[in-house]
Amino acid sequence: MTPILELRDIHTFIGQYHILQGVSFTAPHGAITALLGRNGAGKTTTLKTIMGLTPPRAGEIRFEGRRIDGKRPFEIAALGIGFVPEHRAIFRDLTVEENLKIAERKKGDYARKQEMIFSLFPDLKRLIHLRGTNLSGGQQQMLAIARALVADNRLLLIDEPSEGLAPVVIEGLMSAIRQLAADSTVILVEQNFLVASQLAEHYVIIEEGRSVKSGRMQDLVNDRAAIHRYLGAA
Amino acid sequence: MAKMATLLRKNLVLILTLAVMLALFAAAASGMSQQDFVITLLRGLAVGALTFLVASGFSLIFGLLDVLNLAHGTLFMIGAYIGWTVYVRPDTFVDVLTPLALIVSGFTLRDVWAILARRVPPSGAWGRTAPWLAIAPGALIGFGVMRGYPIASWSLENYAESPVTFSFLAGQGQRVIPAHATFGDASPLVAFGGLILASMLVAFGMTLLGRSETHAQSRVTWRSVAPFAGLVIGGMVVFAVNEPLTAWLFALDTNWLFLIAVLVAVLSGMGLGALMEITLIRPLYVRPIYQLMLTLGLSAIGIEMVRAIWGRPEFTMPKPALFAGSGEGCPAESLWLALQNGCSTMIFQGGRIRVYNEIFVPLVGLVVLIAVWLLLKRTRLGMIIRAGVQDREMVEALGINVRRVFTLVFALGVGLAALGGVLAAPSIGLSNTMGESFLLNALIALAIGGLTSYPGAAIGSLLVGMLQQFIIKYGQIGIAIPFTEIVFKPSPPLVPASTILLMVIILLILPNGLLGRKE
Repeated sequence: MTPILELRDIHTFIGQYHILQGVSFTAPHGAITALLGRNGAGKTTTLKTIMGLTPPRAGEIRFEGRRIDGKRPFEIAALGIGFVPEHRAIFRDLTVEENLKIAERKKGDYARKQEMIFSLFPDLKRLIHLRGTNLSGGQQQMLAIARALVADNRLLLIDEPSEGLAPVVIEGLMSAIRQLAADSTVILVEQNFLVASQLAEHYVIIEEGRSVKSGRMQDLVNDRAAIHRYLGAA
Repeated sequence: MAKMATLLRKNLVLILTLAVMLALFAAAASGMSQQDFVITLLRGLAVGALTFLVASGFSLIFGLLDVLNLAHGTLFMIGAYIGWTVYVRPDTFVDVLTPLALIVSGFTLRDVWAILARRVPPSGAWGRTAPWLAIAPGALIGFGVMRGYPIASWSLENYAESPVTFSFLAGQGQRVIPAHATFGDASPLVAFGGLILASMLVAFGMTLLGRSETHAQSRVTWRSVAPFAGLVIGGMVVFAVNEPLTAWLFALDTNWLFLIAVLVAVLSGMGLGALMEITLIRPLYVRPIYQLMLTLGLSAIGIEMVRAIWGRPEFTMPKPALFAGSGEGCPAESLWLALQNGCSTMIFQGGRIRVYNEIFVPLVGLVVLIAVWLLLKRTRLGMIIRAGVQDREMVEALGINVRRVFTLVFALGVGLAALGGVLAAPSIGLSNTMGESFLLNALIALAIGGLTSYPGAAIGSLLVGMLQQFIIKYGQIGIAIPFTEIVFKPSPPLVPASTILLMVIILLILPNGLLGRKE
């Protein structure tokens, strides 16, 4: 079976800076893959490169076997990829409902998905007419993820969902992400190794713009030396 | 209640500023007779409404695209001249339609050109020269044909046939129908074929130039040739009915003709805006400074082009019949009577006011204010614009073609400016520089109201309009300075200076303007 996403030797520049210097990995169908690595290793840039927001200068990206590098972000999104950016980038001036509606790709997407989204994030239903700027950090993160669920996406790219959130809130988010992974594939960038290790089945370690190690999360959890070497954590 | 209190605390500075301004305004008004006050207020509304049309478009474009469109004032002026042409010389307007449709036609065959372009190797000497081998002959053919194309027009040398005269005669109600321009013995088919060919060549060349960006469809469908067929057939039909259509437009009631002129001006403004965004602004999003210089240059080019076509002297655009009468029953006692008798003026609170300037224009401003507000708040496009102002990348990552939205918003903004121009023409007349003062007013209004805030644009424009008109009025009647014997009469240069002073004061207190967002 072809992997849902495949990156082959990706090189990305931002301005003159050579940020990604050879990232390759495959994400298997229906599982959560975590991108791990230190700050500034290139994890966020990898997600943005997949999305076409920072297009790669060399290498190949395939989604369900089709080349997507060189396409514009809206074309890539339309193929069925949802993006949850870091820092909970919801639209602050829009209400919760508008934040969800704007993500429609077909008319009626929102009406169809409403029930699923609100069962996943019951809080949002109560806040539906509030503007994004009035939500708490955890609520904004829920909304950012919910927004990626409105259209029919088979792959979700989630960047640092736990960043700056209280442990209780993270708990709720983790269970939500676990539930979504039942229907679609997730690629997760996560600084918090504890969170990543509990969620993901597979991992890819990125160091200084290169993918250096990948495999099953279970093996990594038992490999203290590798964790210490690449992630600097205990 | 608690909510109210926090709202009050958060906006304390804003509320205090508004209160002080209101107090000053009341003080200024108390020195005036009621009649003067009402008239000045209405004039302020009129200037404010026109300023708002420029400012709102400018702010929409700046908010979403981050483009400071310094050509906005020029586009305002072009709107006025296009509207004038349709209104006073509909024959010229009808004559221009056919060649315009044919010139545009080739560009609508984008898909065909994209497929053909794949056969030309992208690199190497051939790849580099091929675009120009198409564009150069295309442009030559186009210019050649247009030089000989018969378009009934005015003359800039002969006073009797100048825009000034045509305008004057139209204002007198004498619609002299100028001689019809014809091909004579030459066959028009050659000209039509030439224009279509020229358009196709230039369009193909431009597709080759911008090839790296196009992701065209691989097949030519009926859909992709339909606009082309429509334009060519439409152009031919207009040519066939040219004479009766011209005669009909000349005979048309001026109210309807004015409406058509306004619509054509707005549509042309939108077309011009879209063209400008796609061809000139779009390649420069990565170089904002170049973009700024480009719009400044375009504004100068626009002014010179208008001078070349319509000439330097200023002229007026006659008001439509509904607002032009001065016969029996005028000035009317009420608005209803004024409209019934088609009076240009009416008596209101003991003073004479002009129905078009002081009632119609502010009313249109209000309608536009509400319409754009509804567009922003109630439609999907508005939602995308509001979201895009904050985070364009994320909007695009949701699967929305932001580039197309950019073009649309630019077109909309320029359309609003053109609407302002054509509405201003009957009240302030047409001149090559009419846009500049409005652009300056609009920029000041936006700085006062908050650069990207839509209600801010409205409030700022209103303040600027009011302030200017009150200073003008006080220049005539003088302000009695309290506790002294001095009567101060502001001189005319104080009119623009006062708005800048207001801007400086407000920006010192509220650096983001009245309703601007704190960054």
